[in-house]
Amino acid sequence: MSETPTNETKAARAVRRMGVVIVDPFPVVRAGLASTIGGSPGLEVLAQASSADEAIVVVANVRRSRVVVLVAMGLAGDKDSYWLIRSLRERFPGHAILGLGANADPHVVSRALFVGADGFVDKNIELDEFLAAIRSAGNEEMVIAGPAAASVGQIAEGIERRRSVGLRLTKREREVLSVAAEGLTAREIAERLGVRERTVTTHLARIYGKLGVGNRLAALRLAARSGLVSIGPTE
Amino acid sequence: MAGRSHAHLSVGLSGSLARMTVVHAVVAAAHPVVRSVIELACQEADVTVTAKVETALATIAACRARTPDLLVLDLELPDSDGFKVLGDLGDEDRPESILVLSDRADGDLVLRALRLGVRGYVTKAEGLRGLSTTIRRVLSGERVIAPGLEQDAVLALGRFARRAREGAEVAADLTSREQQVLELLSEGQTMRQIATRLSISPRTVETHVAKLYRKLGVRTRVQAVSRAATLGLVEL
Repeated sequence: MSETPTNETKAARAVRRMGVVIVDPFPVVRAGLASTIGGSPGLEVLAQASSADEAIVVVANVRRSRVVVLVAMGLAGDKDSYWLIRSLRERFPGHAILGLGANADPHVVSRALFVGADGFVDKNIELDEFLAAIRSAGNEEMVIAGPAAASVGQIAEGIERRRSVGLRLTKREREVLSVAAEGLTAREIAERLGVRERTVTTHLARIYGKLGVGNRLAALRLAARSGLVSIGPTE
Repeated sequence: MAGRSHAHLSVGLSGSLARMTVVHAVVAAAHPVVRSVIELACQEADVTVTAKVETALATIAACRARTPDLLVLDLELPDSDGFKVLGDLGDEDRPESILVLSDRADGDLVLRALRLGVRGYVTKAEGLRGLSTTIRRVLSGERVIAPGLEQDAVLALGRFARRAREGAEVAADLTSREQQVLELLSEGQTMRQIATRLSISPRTVETHVAKLYRKLGVRTRVQAVSRAATLGLVEL
């Protein structure tokens, strides 16, 4: 009889603990983060992943009401950290997503927030601050911890730039632009989208006008900076 | 004007060098007592006050005429909001260091100020004490935000990021026709007027509006316009 309540309390405590998922390409970093986070009260490391694909799978298997996913900004390739943050935001709207960087510039932070991160933590901070940031994120608070906290205004401006570029282009224009980012010619873009070449050049001209640029490279650079397209293969 | 031309006369050709050591400030505040407190703090911080003004209009004029190194600005000016001053100042008129004083301890306002290049934000209730230290810190390039307000600004940034994301998502989903209809709706035009304006049938306008409501997740025209404004899709 005396056993049961204790077990229940234990179980209840485990559920109350905040669950953390670590996504970082480097095994040594993951191990360090896991032992740091796991050793602190109220936090429990539920899973780790080294790539975006793996992260999606492990997060889907997590059963916990309060989950913080730490996403290192260093994921490379088609499915980079921004892709992962965007995908996690869409699929798991209830989880907190924290970008994790090292001396990240405002550009990186604003892009991470724009694609869906709930905050950003820099590795270049004191341990207790780091853990406090994770706890705040788990309690649905927005956090910017580390050097980036000094650039809140610039980060907001970066978000505004992304937003305004995004708002200026129609859905079709974005499509044209993202195919153009693969380096295709107007004719190839037309084939891909099933339209006439003439339509594509009209779209491109209108895009240049809206973005205030003179050529495709400048348009792509601006769109990439705004997080609208990825230069290289499609996401 | 007098202080500035005097500095130029006395140092002659090395005027630009003198500008680096002598720090000029414009002080803008509605209340005479607040102006005096700021002026005293400037003196303590070895800053020369070249103009004391009490309206937004006079602040802009003073910054253009004197190109001060520092602007100490009360956000609550009688003729218009201090933010208007910050927005209207061009890059060449904008002092390198801007410190604002406000009655309002509000994260959204702090974020707005930071976006406009403000380096310091203190409240009049707390910030007037120790203002000379704040001025020194701001001049040295440091960002000085009233304690507590710093985190409020970060929370405001989070809300801003979420709205921007949602706005961009909805915008990406709108056709250019729907975007046009939305703009005309927010101007207060009726379905019939919109139909005439776009040379389409009222029935077609209704179809566009129904799609807009669905994409914005709203049920009425007022909700649609207010939601679109919140998301930054239209300006009211």
